[in-house]
Amino acid sequence: MTAFIIRRILWTIPVLLLVIFLTFVMMKQIGGNPFRRTERAVPVAIQQNLERKFNLDEPWYVQYALYVKGVFTFDLGPSLVSRDRTVNDIIREHAPKSLELGFYAMLWAIVLGIPAGVIAALRHNSIFDYGLMFFSNVGFAVPSFLVATLLIYYVALKWGLVPTNGWTTWESKILPSFALGLLPMAYFARLVRGSMLETLQQDYVRTARAKGLRQRRIIVRHVLRNSLIPAITAIAPLLGFIITGSFVIEVIFSIPGIGRYFVTSVSSRDYSVVMGITVLTSVVIVLANLVVDILYGILDPRTREART
Amino acid sequence: MSTTDPRDAVVAEPAVPEVVAGAGAHAGAPMARASLWRDAWRRYLQNKGAVIAGAIFLLIVLFCLIWPIISPHDANKVDLTQARQGPSLEHPLGTDAFGRDMLTRVALAGRISLAIGLGATVAILVFGVIYGSTAGFFGGRLDNIQMRLLDALYGLPYLPFAIILLAIIGTINMWTMILALSIASWFTAARIVRGQIITLKQNDYVRAAQALGARWYRILSRHLLPNTLGVLIIAMFLELPGVILGEAFLGFIGLGISPPDASLGSMAEEGRSEYRANPHIMFVPGLAIAILVLCANFIADGMRDALDPRTRETKEG
Amino acid sequence: MLSRNRWLSAVLLSLVAVLLVVGCGGDDDEGGNGGGGAAAADQTLKWGLGSEFLLDPGLATDTTSSKILSNIFDGLVKLNNDLEAEPAAAESWDENGKVVTFHLREGMKWTNGDPVTAGDYEFAWKRALSPELGSDYAYQLTGIQGAAEYNECENNCNALRDKVMVQATDPQTLKVTLTSVQPWFIEQVAHHVFLPVNPKAVQAAPERWTRPENIVTNGAFKVEDAQPSASITLVKNADWRDAANVKLERVEGRIIVDGTTAVQSFEAGEVDVLDEQLPPAEIPRLKDTPEYELYTGLGTTYYGFNMKNITDINQRRAMSLAVNRRQIIDTITQANEIPAKGFTPEGMPGFEEIVGEGSPWTPEAGDIDQAKEYMAKVQGPKQKVAIVTNEGDPNKDVAVALQSMWKEIGVDSTIRVMEWQQYLEYLGPPPPGAVDLFRLGWVGDFVDDINFLELWTCESGNNNTGFCDKEYDALVEKAKATPDDAERTEIYNQLEAKLTGQDGALPFIPMWSISYNNLERESVKETFQINLLDQVDLTTVEIKES
Repeated sequence: MTAFIIRRILWTIPVLLLVIFLTFVMMKQIGGNPFRRTERAVPVAIQQNLERKFNLDEPWYVQYALYVKGVFTFDLGPSLVSRDRTVNDIIREHAPKSLELGFYAMLWAIVLGIPAGVIAALRHNSIFDYGLMFFSNVGFAVPSFLVATLLIYYVALKWGLVPTNGWTTWESKILPSFALGLLPMAYFARLVRGSMLETLQQDYVRTARAKGLRQRRIIVRHVLRNSLIPAITAIAPLLGFIITGSFVIEVIFSIPGIGRYFVTSVSSRDYSVVMGITVLTSVVIVLANLVVDILYGILDPRTREART
Repeated sequence: MSTTDPRDAVVAEPAVPEVVAGAGAHAGAPMARASLWRDAWRRYLQNKGAVIAGAIFLLIVLFCLIWPIISPHDANKVDLTQARQGPSLEHPLGTDAFGRDMLTRVALAGRISLAIGLGATVAILVFGVIYGSTAGFFGGRLDNIQMRLLDALYGLPYLPFAIILLAIIGTINMWTMILALSIASWFTAARIVRGQIITLKQNDYVRAAQALGARWYRILSRHLLPNTLGVLIIAMFLELPGVILGEAFLGFIGLGISPPDASLGSMAEEGRSEYRANPHIMFVPGLAIAILVLCANFIADGMRDALDPRTRETKEG
Repeated sequence: MLSRNRWLSAVLLSLVAVLLVVGCGGDDDEGGNGGGGAAAADQTLKWGLGSEFLLDPGLATDTTSSKILSNIFDGLVKLNNDLEAEPAAAESWDENGKVVTFHLREGMKWTNGDPVTAGDYEFAWKRALSPELGSDYAYQLTGIQGAAEYNECENNCNALRDKVMVQATDPQTLKVTLTSVQPWFIEQVAHHVFLPVNPKAVQAAPERWTRPENIVTNGAFKVEDAQPSASITLVKNADWRDAANVKLERVEGRIIVDGTTAVQSFEAGEVDVLDEQLPPAEIPRLKDTPEYELYTGLGTTYYGFNMKNITDINQRRAMSLAVNRRQIIDTITQANEIPAKGFTPEGMPGFEEIVGEGSPWTPEAGDIDQAKEYMAKVQGPKQKVAIVTNEGDPNKDVAVALQSMWKEIGVDSTIRVMEWQQYLEYLGPPPPGAVDLFRLGWVGDFVDDINFLELWTCESGNNNTGFCDKEYDALVEKAKATPDDAERTEIYNQLEAKLTGQDGALPFIPMWSISYNNLERESVKETFQINLLDQVDLTTVEIKES
């Protein structure tokens, strides 16, 4: 097991190098001038001064080398556009909010989604089951920015239950994380329900019932554990969704997270911020995949042997 | 080398054709194919939800294809005097901010969204099939390298690259959208195909074909790939919602289709700022997206149930 | 298996959807607050802002930063409602030809206890000019002798720094020597790049001095807290020179980037003033509410011609005549802009003299018949044109409207929407041959028409049209050397005529003057005012009882 973990961690290095390289190439291709904010042209002298200051007048391989060195010494450079901050500052100030948002979203999804799926499976074909399927389909199908807009309109504005935007008080965190967590919630609910329904039909469950074990004990000990496995494997792709979905939620709810910052950085050509955030996101994804694989290995002994 | 990657378990079903085809399996693929599809089709029809979804989907597709041709309104004609009208006899779904007929525009936008959806899905499948089948079939070293590379690619953050890619390309039309949407989504398809091929590879008929001296491309094309077709079709209908929503999402952050063309996603995004005074401008495309996505989900589930006999026992009615 | 309940859920979904569409018409009323006369007990202003801020006067470029900066730092002068310079930190000044001398008040202090001296202003201005800082607005200071050379310096710059003719001859006196007589210089000094900084604070932490724990200010308000990209909290500076007249105790600025969310935030009572652009789609609904407030801005939006491609002046005239500005403003942009009568924007002092009756080529509602007449005079007209514009509400939509208007005079156009940075790069100057019309705008830096008219000189980096007229350039130089306002206005009139007059070259189609649309709660509406340069003076704001 440890060998497996170490090997996976070592793999992050080539992945990171690949990410840096690709991002670097793409940003070079993208053109544009990070120092030009408005329609007003930047005077030549100033343009030259700034390029010199930020090493943009060096040949590309020098810039690349400087950047790679920066990544491995954890110094991601200054921001070209937010002139009083470094990329490290920006990440330090904004990333925690996005991580928090994603975490709470996943929490909503797990806390509401999984039990809902379990209950729906147990109360198969009841009103609850139908209701659940209905809501999960909605959560799936309607684009999140529309759902978020409606939620703000009704819950925050009309009913005045929570603030309409921001990420400050605990009340303000409810709606955005819920909106982001809707799709994963729906996903979990359906997955768990389907998987439980299947497991409940299995022979070993029938045997347990025949032996006279209580329903609850059966569920907890046998059914639940096996049914949760597909849910766990779904966490990784759902994490991807949460990362991309957070951009939208951050814009709509005015949350000063890293997603929103990223989109504006690409538009304003803040190269160092773009690189920094991309590298960071990559690390997060790789680590998340690692954690999921480990969890999976623990939960499902079958795959442990298969992994050599 | 692991043959069952846990991440495949979610979407991929085990070797379906074998179990169902029964006697046909030993004689070679073609016979299995015929009874497989007929059986599956029959079972699909028994699933009322899937049938209705399929019908709705088909209706929507037909509507999107035909309506713009027969509609009395020109979807791109700007008539500012008619702007923002609610539903009426002349404009069943009202007009948008430019006075353009919503019904016709939705049909056209539906065309583009469906085309993007289809295009991206096909692209995903093509990449996935090429990558996955070579990895699965040849196995060994090549498979190892390919899978490690895939692991690395999984680590790439999709959205940043899509955004940067679109920014590089500059104008955004149907083709660039297809490219951007498919470029990071083909990994799962590749995995599924690989999984399938590996399982199927171990069948007797494949070994027989190899023993008889058939070339690898013949084996792939005649025996292995057709049997993955079922799984691929399911995967396609499962990808479609993601692509449609992905396109809506890109539209939201400002990377939507350039005007005057519109996709459902860009219409929904434009509608968002209008919805307080004219909610229909947002709801019409939003509902359209939701219905398409729902139908695709139902169809995919229906097909999966149809092709996988195990779930037959848990089916009711 | 699951078919029945899925079918049911599909039906339920459609029912709910229908209910939503039906039920979602109109919206709730906002509680109207009567604007009473008495001051409210709690003088806290909740201010909704549209973009991030940068608290460094030398580096900030956007209007949000500018608004905040002019309230936390004390400039030498400030502009009153008629846009004339009034004493601020400087109690008086003398103008002697090229030499301007400012006399600072006594007894002003920084928030760290240091006295405010003329040396602080000298330090700040030279810092803004320094090549290492790379300030975008350094060009505003190049009217000072020695400034341009210092700014362009590549190495060994300290010697040049000393040659910049801004000198604090004593702690209360700042002597500035200009390159020529510039009548607008005093008004220019109201711009935020001329604000002072505390030399000690900046030198102690050059990269981080703007953080709330480090920042040192000398204005009417001081920074209590600043969360980047999220919020800023200001409190009244009790030690400020005129603190007795400042009514507000506290300002809570909150950044809301998305327009739709911003409006909802205002309606939920979370902000008192929404000081950012409202989404065009919401304006028809909001403009009849008591909270709506419209301000004119000092800026012009225009569609430039690529004169190398559209060479015939009659075609340019025809295309300008075909534009129905009124209709576009009423139905698309909906921000109540003022249709342009020339390049000089409404609100510019001397507007009536400079623009006169207005350009004959910019009738408010367009004139299709006249347009067709002129089109007929064109030999070999360019009938397929390529419009390019940058993305963002409502640019695309305006282009679509123009497309249909030009179709009526026989010109077919294609629209290409580009992303902002690529767009700017694409336009050069000079613009590539593939483009014929492009959307741009110009917002004034200071209140004198030279700022607008000098755009169109041959060498201007902001002239993307290819318009080049030696006489025009000569007139611009002449205007710069004319200190008398009335005489200068006369020259501006000639310049404007060369652009948009009866015989003007019409290198662009003037569209409209920009406007600022705010939502302001009635308790604050009377006292919260934005001037032409999008500045607000928080010392005059008072929250009334409601």
